[in-house]
Amino acid sequence: MAQKMLVFCGSDTPEKAFPPFMLGSGALAMDMEVTLFFTMSGLNIIRKGGAEKVTLEGTPKSLSEFIDILRDGGAKLIACSAAFGIIGIEEGDLIEGVECGGVATFVDAAQEADVVLTF
Amino acid sequence: MTEEELKSLQVDKQVDARGTACPGPLLEAKRSLTSVPIGGTMEVLSSDPSTNKDVPLWAKKVGHEYLGTLEEAGFWRIFVKRGK
Repeated sequence: MAQKMLVFCGSDTPEKAFPPFMLGSGALAMDMEVTLFFTMSGLNIIRKGGAEKVTLEGTPKSLSEFIDILRDGGAKLIACSAAFGIIGIEEGDLIEGVECGGVATFVDAAQEADVVLTF
Repeated sequence: MTEEELKSLQVDKQVDARGTACPGPLLEAKRSLTSVPIGGTMEVLSSDPSTNKDVPLWAKKVGHEYLGTLEEAGFWRIFVKRGK
């Protein structure tokens, strides 16, 4: 069975927004199952039109390209519904292919994961 | 493989990922190897030093064979044989 990586994406600051995708795409390449859990300002990354606003000099791909690589590679993207009210976002604001989940979804995924990373 | 064997190897595919930062070359390698027949070989050109470690690790992890690396001026040629 494939090993599982769970990444906690809690910020839209470029230095914190890009590493989950850089490491996540690498983990997919190494045949891991990858789940990204977006919460707090990290939700802005998966808001429609949000990824385009987060840029970082020197990265090999844009954030939008990285999102496509992860989605095409079968990664699961989960939006934390507990932070929707804090950030001011609704399910309809999210890009395609994102599931919603709460605290229990994260805890369950964390218990099952072989690796959990936090950004 | 020896340096001479690598130099004379006729690869099925060459991927030029020079100028791309990590994890670009690794992602290119993964994407491109799918168009190489099983048992076929691929050469990745990379100017990113970490690719020298990443590609052999990746190959070992996912069932391909790392054949070796040739160092050129400012870049590396990394050879992989598709295993599955």
